[in-house]
Amino acid sequence: MAGQGARLRVVQGDLRLGAAMAPNASAPTDVPDRVSPHRIRLVDAALDCIARQGTAKTTVDDVAHGAGVSRATVYRVFPGGKDELLGAVAETEMARLFSALGARMGAAEELSDVLVIGIVEAVTRITRHPALTYMIAHEPDVVLGRLAFDESNRLLATASRFISPFLIRWMDPEEAARVAEWATRIVLSYCIAPTSEMDLTDPARARHLVGTFVLPGIRALRAPDRSQPVDLVPIAADRAKHAGRVHQVDYLQTYPTTTTHSEGDVQ
Amino acid sequence: MEDTRQRIIEATYACVARWGVAKTTVEDAAREAAVSRATVYRHFPGGRDELIHDVVVWELFAFFGRLYDEVRGAESLEAVMERGISFAHRSIQEHEVLQRVMQTEPETLLPTITVESNRIRDAIAGFLVPYLHQHGLAPGVDPDEAGDFLARMVLSYMGSPGRWDLDDPAQVSELVRGELLAGVVVGPEPGKRPD
Repeated sequence: MAGQGARLRVVQGDLRLGAAMAPNASAPTDVPDRVSPHRIRLVDAALDCIARQGTAKTTVDDVAHGAGVSRATVYRVFPGGKDELLGAVAETEMARLFSALGARMGAAEELSDVLVIGIVEAVTRITRHPALTYMIAHEPDVVLGRLAFDESNRLLATASRFISPFLIRWMDPEEAARVAEWATRIVLSYCIAPTSEMDLTDPARARHLVGTFVLPGIRALRAPDRSQPVDLVPIAADRAKHAGRVHQVDYLQTYPTTTTHSEGDVQ
Repeated sequence: MEDTRQRIIEATYACVARWGVAKTTVEDAAREAAVSRATVYRHFPGGRDELIHDVVVWELFAFFGRLYDEVRGAESLEAVMERGISFAHRSIQEHEVLQRVMQTEPETLLPTITVESNRIRDAIAGFLVPYLHQHGLAPGVDPDEAGDFLARMVLSYMGSPGRWDLDDPAQVSELVRGELLAGVVVGPEPGKRPD
């Protein structure tokens, strides 16, 4: 950590030197700096502060000190100060969660595995997140405001848009959106109100829950009259048709190519 | 004694309805209930925080009391869940005080609601389990586990409908027969629809 910090400070020094040598070619400092090398360091320093003392007590000075930069640097990266910094923290942690979920779910070969792995990964990351854990214990109103009523509807929509591309190998996009929202509700419910009987950080328990309640529900919505059993196998013909949607998550570079399965996989 | 306590709670609720949670003081509640400040503190030693907490809990349980009245006559598991979800959704939408507080000062309500939701979830699960037995559980499904799962899902959908239009009875029926009950109970009885 110390070595990395020293290296980053050297980079900072080089930039200042460059600016001094060519003052007329200085960077446009009045533009909010979204790709600043400081941005992620400040976010991580803020996360450390929040995990120790919560959002209310954390000041811009604390974060600047933790990141080893000046107050002025914090305000250069986040002109809106603490509020903008906290917004960037939430945005970054959400992106990290989705990125980890994408990596794990994209590697799964069976629908049940996609669901189990996604649920375990999400519940584990959320319930063991140090900053979030502190906030739920000491400033629950800050967290809960994001999880109830209208805010929750927004969160459900965001998470569903992200998750459904991982499901369309097995169902049409409408069904995928429906199942993605359902799975998000399951994750949120067990994160907000965990029980020892159904610890979803335990893959065996998550597999039990998915097998007992979720997969039968998916079969029912694929054949509402249950007139015939539904095999939850990849839909090869549909896969090419929906390939465009899969590419929406290509930036994560984790989704398996849509040609992984041959026609022979379909029964 | 209990009458006075109840009167103070109802008076405080009236103040909250008028001015919101943050602006309601112990003095307001005492004046509205026509009692002294000392009387309020005798019933609520924790002062304003305890008073507001107890008002939220009181209204929350009143809400679930009305929900219970709505569903207890239902003849089937599907009917219980459809009527319950529709009624709860409509009640939340039409609850003016709740809607205003959620718009302007949600932080005053949510911690209490979240803590109490554990008790509410247990109550919903306990109410549903006999219906599950009566309907017949799918093979290998534990009734208490299913009751807890269903209660969680009911609370989730009633609070945040997401992509569902819960004013539409057809959508409520589809949700109940799909996500909620498909894995829990034995297969459907063709042609049997409660309404």
